[in-house]
Amino acid sequence: MQPPVLSIQNISKAFGGFLALSNVSFDLFPGEIHAVLGENGAGKSTLLNILAGITQATTGHITLNGTPVVFTSAVDAAKAGIGMVHQHFMLVPTISSTDNLILADMVEDRAWFGWPAQAIRKRIANQAKSFGWDIDLDARIDSQTVGAQQRLEILKALQGERKVLLLDEPTAVLTPGELPGFFATIRSIAASGTAVVIITHKLDEVLAVADKVTVLRRGQVVHQCQTAGTTVHDLAREMVGGDSSAFSVLTAVNENRGVSQPKEERVTLRDAAAVSGESLFKQGNVAIRAGEIFGIAGVDGNGQGALADLLTGNAPLIAGSLTIGDLTITPQQSLSQHDFLRIGVAYIPADRQADGLVMSMSIAENIVLDRMRDAPFLRFGMFIDQQAIKRFAQTEIEQFDIRPADQSRIVSSLSGGNQQKVVIARALSKNPQVLVAVNPTRGLDVGAIAYVHRALRAATAAGCAVVLISTELDEILALSDRIAVLYEGSLSETLPGGVSKVELGRLMGGATQ
Amino acid sequence: MMKRLLLSAGISMLWMFIALISCAGIVLMAGAAPVSVAQALLHGAIGTQYNVSNTLVQTIPLLITALAVVIAFRAEMFNIGVEGQFLLGAVLACWAGQLSIPGPFAIIVTLMASMIGGALWSLIPALMLHFRGVQIVLSSLIMNFIAVQVVAWVVRGPLQEAVREYPQSDPIRTVAELPKVVAGLQLHSGIWIAIAMALIFDVLIRKTVFGTYLKAVGSGLRASKTMGLPVSRILFTTVLLSGALGGLAGGIQIAGVTHFLADPYSKGYGYTAIAVALLARLSPIGAIPAALLFGALTSGSSAAQSAGIPVVVLQVIQAVILFSILGARYTASRFLRTQTVGESA
Repeated sequence: MQPPVLSIQNISKAFGGFLALSNVSFDLFPGEIHAVLGENGAGKSTLLNILAGITQATTGHITLNGTPVVFTSAVDAAKAGIGMVHQHFMLVPTISSTDNLILADMVEDRAWFGWPAQAIRKRIANQAKSFGWDIDLDARIDSQTVGAQQRLEILKALQGERKVLLLDEPTAVLTPGELPGFFATIRSIAASGTAVVIITHKLDEVLAVADKVTVLRRGQVVHQCQTAGTTVHDLAREMVGGDSSAFSVLTAVNENRGVSQPKEERVTLRDAAAVSGESLFKQGNVAIRAGEIFGIAGVDGNGQGALADLLTGNAPLIAGSLTIGDLTITPQQSLSQHDFLRIGVAYIPADRQADGLVMSMSIAENIVLDRMRDAPFLRFGMFIDQQAIKRFAQTEIEQFDIRPADQSRIVSSLSGGNQQKVVIARALSKNPQVLVAVNPTRGLDVGAIAYVHRALRAATAAGCAVVLISTELDEILALSDRIAVLYEGSLSETLPGGVSKVELGRLMGGATQ
Repeated sequence: MMKRLLLSAGISMLWMFIALISCAGIVLMAGAAPVSVAQALLHGAIGTQYNVSNTLVQTIPLLITALAVVIAFRAEMFNIGVEGQFLLGAVLACWAGQLSIPGPFAIIVTLMASMIGGALWSLIPALMLHFRGVQIVLSSLIMNFIAVQVVAWVVRGPLQEAVREYPQSDPIRTVAELPKVVAGLQLHSGIWIAIAMALIFDVLIRKTVFGTYLKAVGSGLRASKTMGLPVSRILFTTVLLSGALGGLAGGIQIAGVTHFLADPYSKGYGYTAIAVALLARLSPIGAIPAALLFGALTSGSSAAQSAGIPVVVLQVIQAVILFSILGARYTASRFLRTQTVGESA
């Protein structure tokens, strides 16, 4: 048997009194795909960050090809042959794809002299082609879709002599259609001898792509096995601890569909169109009812952004009409964002860190930020009632199970799942008439996904019309009472919730009904 | 806890030592005696009643202009045009101070005029940002140069003294002057206004909806927009408040110290204010000691200068002291950080 390319022994990492990782060990062999599975806050990202040299272990050893190594920075690790793709991309948004890759080369001292831009372009183009990717080498990063940005990140991480490739939640941003291709890419990278470590929450992906799996819970390795002969239920049980309660809840939510009684039409679009940045919503006719979850499926970049912005007052209507409750909006008669808030439209945006939260502010401030100007948080017309905010936030924290349960905690120090819970707490604590949720479970683990799904279902029970815009096909199918597909900015006819995956896939690919 | 205290005390002492050694080295290279320079500086800052008064007089405009910077920078509106707003405040105060307004109202009208002057001057960059997306950091700086020319023009034109001899204005009326705190000393009651402003802005930032929105817009512009906060209104108000404070500093300088306008007028308070505000870590209360430090350095330096120490040496010493404080802060944050970070992943 081959010796391991990377071996970690008894790695522990403490942040203050908090032990993020405790005695984690595993071996990684050339050509192997190793999945690290765990709930939010289980220590997966910390482990990856240690391997990539971004943070340093408190105790323990890392051995690369038999030699002990100590990485003091990401550049160290990169030079040793460890490439990483972060969950939140590390690309300079204002420059082109090619320039980003040249930049990466410069950081690692590969291209200081000669500036072989043409050679690099060619190399990237060839590599992209070998993966079957179509990449615009000259487009600015901020004009590209998230999926394209990720492909670029993978290319970036694969530059140079890579022995190990680390992927942090790579599938969180991909569409169902992109997954098989992505898995094939990972497998061909592994087949070339590179060892791949992949972090994910999605159990079926582990089984689909990985050879081995390590399950982390509260910083400890609780399970390590070959994927062959393992089932989704086994992994779910290990991940959430003992029983698979969180997972069975997910199934229970699915079965709950159709139980809520849809009522009157709450949101109606008539030949509506809107533009928001690069996102274009060309036309749509749909009536969304109170008490239902209306799923809007579609591959990322087909107008989701503009549609969500239109429904939440972030983008103006340019044609047609939009009726919310008994208020009709036309291109001539628009409403301010604050008006949308007042008529009861709540929003769970796709990018929680940029659009959903002010990362440097506390949980309490984030929960009440848009309502601070209203009772009961306002005193004497301009002062904030700290006590009222604290009390309110504490109740919401308990109700939405935000951890740690400390209202003064800065949001940037929370795990992704808990950050999302803050956004959801803000949206749902308003008892909204309409809730627009875009990819609400992106990057969350099984427990948190079940939680979000239950929360959305609960909102419909309270009479809210939920518009679920998601690129996650399973999510749409699991939750939606009715479904429409968004393709190139146009909304399809409304389909029943029980429509087949094949049919949805066809519409998402541009087929007509 | 004890270990942390010792560590931070150790870091401070180390940097104090570094500062002293480098200052002494610079003074020696300049061919003077370090001990006598130190003595002269200290004496100039706090040696006599008169010098303490002078330190405080220097502190007043620095504190108010620093508050102007604090409020703007908190919203990430990099208003570096406080200097120009200070000058326009001084121009309008000088004009209003000469109007025949009955006693108690004269001073109020004068200071109000200065605030309007400063706010109007900051309105121009604010409008350019709003309608054309011009960066405040650039437009407000350019407005400073225009303000200098405005002062040069008014003291040769509309506000020139009646005898029309020098490029300066007539003094404002005595009733429009700020009263002295202690008879015989330069220190004027503007000090109370400055301290009150620091307290008011501290409350504004920490306790009001506006202050919270200021922070939200400053550190999360996109999220603030998505949540429907009145982003433009907040930014506009911030820039106008900042300008009004800058103008007030100029008005207080006219009403409390010089009583007339001359060309050139400012000693660069609006620029020093940026250093003061950053030293105070954008805290209105923190701006009080920071402004006091700069006030003492200014006052000490001018006394030491009259004792024959070259002005360049004094400026270098000021810079060394500033760098040492920042260095100490940086080292402390590096060494103490590992123990303060809570969690990750």
